[in-house]
Amino acid sequence: MTSIDLHALTKEYGGRRAVDDLTVTVRPGRVTGFLGPNGAGKSTTMRLVLGLDRPTSGTATVGGRPYAALGAPLRHVGALLDAHAAHPSRTARDHLRILALGNRLDARRVDEVLAETGIAAVAHRRVKTYSLGMRQRLGIAAALLGDPEVVMLDEPSNGLDPEGIVWLRGLLRRLAAEGRTVLVSSHLMNETASFADHLVVLGRGRLLADTPMREFIHARVRPRVRVRTTDAAALGGVLARHGHEAVRHEDGHWSVDDARVDDIGRALSAAGVPVLELAAEEGTLEQAYLDLTAAATEFATRPQEV
Amino acid sequence: MPFVPVLRAEWTKVRTLRSLYGALLAVFAATIAFSAVAGVSDTSDPEFDPLFMALSGVTPGQIAAISFGALAMSSEYHGHAIRISLAAVPRRGRWFAAKLTAVALPALAVGLAGALAALLAARAGLGPAASGLSAAEQVRGVVGCGVYLTLMALFAAGLTALLRSGTATLSLMIPFVLIVSFVIGDLAGGLTDFLPDRAGQVVLHESYDGSVGPWTGLAVTALWTAAAVGAGAWKLRRSDV
Repeated sequence: MTSIDLHALTKEYGGRRAVDDLTVTVRPGRVTGFLGPNGAGKSTTMRLVLGLDRPTSGTATVGGRPYAALGAPLRHVGALLDAHAAHPSRTARDHLRILALGNRLDARRVDEVLAETGIAAVAHRRVKTYSLGMRQRLGIAAALLGDPEVVMLDEPSNGLDPEGIVWLRGLLRRLAAEGRTVLVSSHLMNETASFADHLVVLGRGRLLADTPMREFIHARVRPRVRVRTTDAAALGGVLARHGHEAVRHEDGHWSVDDARVDDIGRALSAAGVPVLELAAEEGTLEQAYLDLTAAATEFATRPQEV
Repeated sequence: MPFVPVLRAEWTKVRTLRSLYGALLAVFAATIAFSAVAGVSDTSDPEFDPLFMALSGVTPGQIAAISFGALAMSSEYHGHAIRISLAAVPRRGRWFAAKLTAVALPALAVGLAGALAALLAARAGLGPAASGLSAAEQVRGVVGCGVYLTLMALFAAGLTALLRSGTATLSLMIPFVLIVSFVIGDLAGGLTDFLPDRAGQVVLHESYDGSVGPWTGLAVTALWTAAAVGAGAWKLRRSDV
């Protein structure tokens, strides 16, 4: 079982903390969504794991070892960092062949991952002729080349068409089901919710959440009902009897937290309360995520201690 | 991780980029073409040196060699390609050594072949003016030319790793070998014998009278190259990529 372990990981660039005291374990057998606004430190964290950047302090290990200590690292960790990193004048096949040679991987893997990512038919073309979506597929092919236990993908859905997004979702689910450790960054909450079992959220380099997806939704997305009536007193009475607290807003509508339209509608109907409007008013998942990261932004813009 | 697979990967990188092929071909073609033209030149000049005349293609040839070394390294700094390379081979020293070997071996092979062909072409043109060259002098000239071109390619590769830019390397080195070396060479006297291109080209002359000989001259160039490569390695080891 191979997990990615970050311990008090910190990276400063010229005094600015890109990653700030991050302690997280990314476990195998599930897809971990790595969320945060642009500049939150997701890509930096991935580069630190790969030993491309050196941490200012703290450690990042894979299966308990620093990345540089892995013998043929592509057999253990596959990463997509930047779809534009493949040399534009090389063909996709040559790009993969070079990676396979250096890590002594079976040359057949090149054709296997080309087929798996759906770019086998264009593998002989130079990368500069590729669309962004095709480059992402090539980057994912490179990540899968060594059949690694750990897969790290930085914004893999960038530039993928809708069919590609569906394919990626299936791929991520399958990799996790095979027991691999899968870390996928994104800045879009709804998209992440469609494939992730677990969430790690960063804001300004700090850990904001490390929680199962289901719990995140449960804890942060509260159902709410919006009601308008001509008989405020009756409405308040009925809601109080059913144990709901209602808040009256200035324009005359009421909102009831932690309630569902089905229950409120039935109760009001049974009590004969005249209803002008009844609607579910749920905060979306995206909103819950924005609330979380906005708080981090406010926090981070306070004057910092030196 | 072992060195040979990494070297094979780096060599495949060189083989699969047309621009690098082109630069290698240019080393060969420029060296021969210039020497062939020189072969039909005026031989009555009192400073006429038949060996250097025959190998005068080294002047454009070294530009191509510098371009080859710079391009081979700068392709890594194009769009963060080096991140993929170092994720695959996290031992940076080993990766760098493999990269330099993949630059040196083809540069040496092409340099030797180009120098030999240039010498033959020029001798055909020079006729009796070059007939006084001994076999030993000609071997020295050809081997020296191949080694010199290789050292210049490595110099450029090392400097590119230090500056993390092929453009910066080319805009420093090409004016230097074409202009600066000549200008300050005429001004400053003795010390200029130790400039990397001046010192390394002594080996291409039949007669020499400066402070360095043919092989000590190449050694001086090798020291310059070692300094550039060392600085490049230092930069690569200590920096984030």
